[in-house]
Amino acid sequence: MTKLFRLMLAALFLVTCATFTHAGDLDSFKGQGGALKIAGGTAHIPVMKVAAKMIIEAHPDIRITIAGGGSGVGIKQVGEGLIDIGNAGRKATDKEISNYGLVMHKWAIDGVGAVVNPQNPVTELTTEQLQGIFSGKIANWKELGGEDRAINLYDRDAASGTRSVFWKKGLKKADVSPKANVVPSNGAMKTAISGDPYSIGFVSVGHIDDSVAPVTLDGVAPTLDNVKNGSFAVARGLYSITKGDAQGLAKLFIDFLFSPTGQELVKAKGFVAVK
Amino acid sequence: MNRIMERGLVLFCWIFGLLPLLILLTVIVYLLIRGGNALGLELIFGKVPVLDALFGHRQVFDGLLPALTGTGLLVILSLVLAIIPGICGGIYLAEYSSPGEGRMLGLLFDIIAGLPSIVIGLAGFALTIILHRHYPGRLGPCLLLSAMALAFLIVPYLVRTTEASLRSIPLDLRLTGPALGASKLQNIVFVLLPARMNDLIGGIILAIGRAAEDTAVIMLTGAVASAGMVRSVLEQYEALPFYIYYISSQYSDAAELQSGFGAAILLFALCGLLFLLAILLEHGFSRRLKR
Amino acid sequence: MINAVKSFEHFCRAMAMGSGLLLIAILFMMAFLGWPLIESGRFIALFSTEWNPQGKSYGILPMVMGSLRITLLALFFSLPMSISAACLTELLAPRSLRRLLLIAIRFMAGIPTVVYGFVAIFLLVPLMREYFIQGSGFSIITASLVLAVLIAPTMIIFFVNGMQSVPRPYCAAVDSLGARPMQKFVYLLLPQAYPTFLVGIVLGLGRAMGDTLISLMLAGNSVAMPESIAESGRTLTAHIALVIAADFSSMEFTTIFVCGLTLTLFAICLILSIRLLDHFGSGRVIQVENPRRPGHE
Repeated sequence: MTKLFRLMLAALFLVTCATFTHAGDLDSFKGQGGALKIAGGTAHIPVMKVAAKMIIEAHPDIRITIAGGGSGVGIKQVGEGLIDIGNAGRKATDKEISNYGLVMHKWAIDGVGAVVNPQNPVTELTTEQLQGIFSGKIANWKELGGEDRAINLYDRDAASGTRSVFWKKGLKKADVSPKANVVPSNGAMKTAISGDPYSIGFVSVGHIDDSVAPVTLDGVAPTLDNVKNGSFAVARGLYSITKGDAQGLAKLFIDFLFSPTGQELVKAKGFVAVK
Repeated sequence: MNRIMERGLVLFCWIFGLLPLLILLTVIVYLLIRGGNALGLELIFGKVPVLDALFGHRQVFDGLLPALTGTGLLVILSLVLAIIPGICGGIYLAEYSSPGEGRMLGLLFDIIAGLPSIVIGLAGFALTIILHRHYPGRLGPCLLLSAMALAFLIVPYLVRTTEASLRSIPLDLRLTGPALGASKLQNIVFVLLPARMNDLIGGIILAIGRAAEDTAVIMLTGAVASAGMVRSVLEQYEALPFYIYYISSQYSDAAELQSGFGAAILLFALCGLLFLLAILLEHGFSRRLKR
Repeated sequence: MINAVKSFEHFCRAMAMGSGLLLIAILFMMAFLGWPLIESGRFIALFSTEWNPQGKSYGILPMVMGSLRITLLALFFSLPMSISAACLTELLAPRSLRRLLLIAIRFMAGIPTVVYGFVAIFLLVPLMREYFIQGSGFSIITASLVLAVLIAPTMIIFFVNGMQSVPRPYCAAVDSLGARPMQKFVYLLLPQAYPTFLVGIVLGLGRAMGDTLISLMLAGNSVAMPESIAESGRTLTAHIALVIAADFSSMEFTTIFVCGLTLTLFAICLILSIRLLDHFGSGRVIQVENPRRPGHE
């Protein structure tokens, strides 16, 4: 029985791989070797991981390391030349671009949505309510029609691009209470919210799945479609940044993200493809 | 002290004294219940056939092999870096140093042993920043840097173990060599160190355990979430403790969490095994002494 | 031959000195990188204000308080456990059990910190959230409970060593007077061995203060000044781990070196206080079996 199950799994795996891979997209890596270092934005990681896996499985001489840290880290480290590709979930500032001579490659569009635990009956909020919650003025779910439990806020650290977009466009630059718990990545945010029934936080729309419930903001749900047609305003691009024009493996990798296979992958991981 | 209070104290001791053991048992049982079914070849090798993975024909992506080899290489490298300074430092403190100098150095080593490991990691990271400012280029967090920081972390353990075991050698054994005309160096290398070999190895094993479990140092000096198999010490790498930390905060599905539990069991077992080895050596030693 | 002997000695000295001097190098390096903050004249402000990078305020006081609270609370939880366990292994438990207890405790000292944190996230945090405190379950008290378990073995081992080093004749005298175990502990062992007990406590403090993973994983990491132990808080060590990701040239980044310096100075103070305790205890207990002192051999 288990054997059959495993076989089926393997078959399923092969099929998914096959649908992702358009003929020839991986060929440009042929004969390449060496190491590619990627770090920064944590919203990017699921796409990066699968892309790296596909490349490495086809061409075992290539090594790709993927680290998180946040958008700020990605921009800074690629600027300092510590890594080859820095990921950012926000645009680099003009100062950053001119200081380091950065080139941005936007390969997906994403939104940032507030999320709560699926058990929470509160799933619709207005911008004012959201501001109230995150500033700490609204401290109990009862005030919003939920259970009589304190609201547990989850925030990201300052290096996060997700946070800066959410703060700018979602909270309209309102204060965030310093009492919020701080988690280091999109994945960690999702994990924290799904484990805590009285929590609220925000994640990249691409990361929203069954384990968390998206909160409708001013009547617009944070879904891929709403991001695509522009009605969900808390949207942003996902960027991969290189110092100067991309070269060598970094160029091939970014080209791969823009190839049909790469863009399929972007869609499969819950983002809006740019091509 | 009256009888009732005495009884009360004894009861208190039994209840609270057994608490650590109870917690130890809880941890073990919980890990085994939640992660026991993750154990197996697939946990380590993912979906890649074992031989292909071992010979490097195919990269392991869903398994713990990269993290395991990363940790293994890291421990070996840091031990290689630490063992000579550690043992020589210990010999110097025990055999050569003047009392004043010994006190001073002893104080320094005690402080190093008391440093929070994240401070050592931060120092390693700071080193790359400073080097990077002066030599822009390809210097960055990597396995070698982590190994250097970890070596610094375990040197004081090695120094103290060596020193203590040399000092505990009885005077008659200590004087036999020189009485037969051996030089001090000969005495140390051929008589004193061999006499305490078990202690030394025990100390080294415990130091290995310390290096294998530390997370704070490596998360600042080059451990990353995904790197594949280690090919060079100048690259970033995966490591078991960092993997556990990473999974605990951001597993994306049940399977990943399961492999996190598997990794926790592996690391636990690894440290347990090292401890067992150290204990066995110690026992072997005390038996020989009695004989 | 003489040459080899001498050069070996020099080599060993160089090794010992070199490793020792690295410590000083580390201190300088951190002072150098943290200098922009120290120099800007805001050094005092660092330890007196709140953390709010957007308002250009980089006070690390909440982290210092967070560290202190978690550490002291962990000690508070750990002490009864450690002393009781030490009494068990030394006085109360049947002889056959004592060895086993001691081995188990030494084993606990080697359990990876990250494993404790991992288990606590899935076992202790939901428990705390549902039954003990309101809020997310990630709180100062959660972290300190786990830290208490983490530092217990260190303290127990020191307590046991302290009791074992009380001179045999004293023990024999007390035993022959028919003292019960707890009487022996309270009237003989505790007064005789208290310096070693204190050393154990100080080392436990150091371990709790220096630990990163437990507080990073369990304390919640909020930057607000904690008002109660049921709230989320951030320690100096967790602050370093979180802010290491910030922009290299920013002031925020510079603060982590100040945190590192603070932690280092704290560690140095602890070790010096142990030395002092050692000094006060000299001639009484500690030196009887301490192999480190050549003068007393």
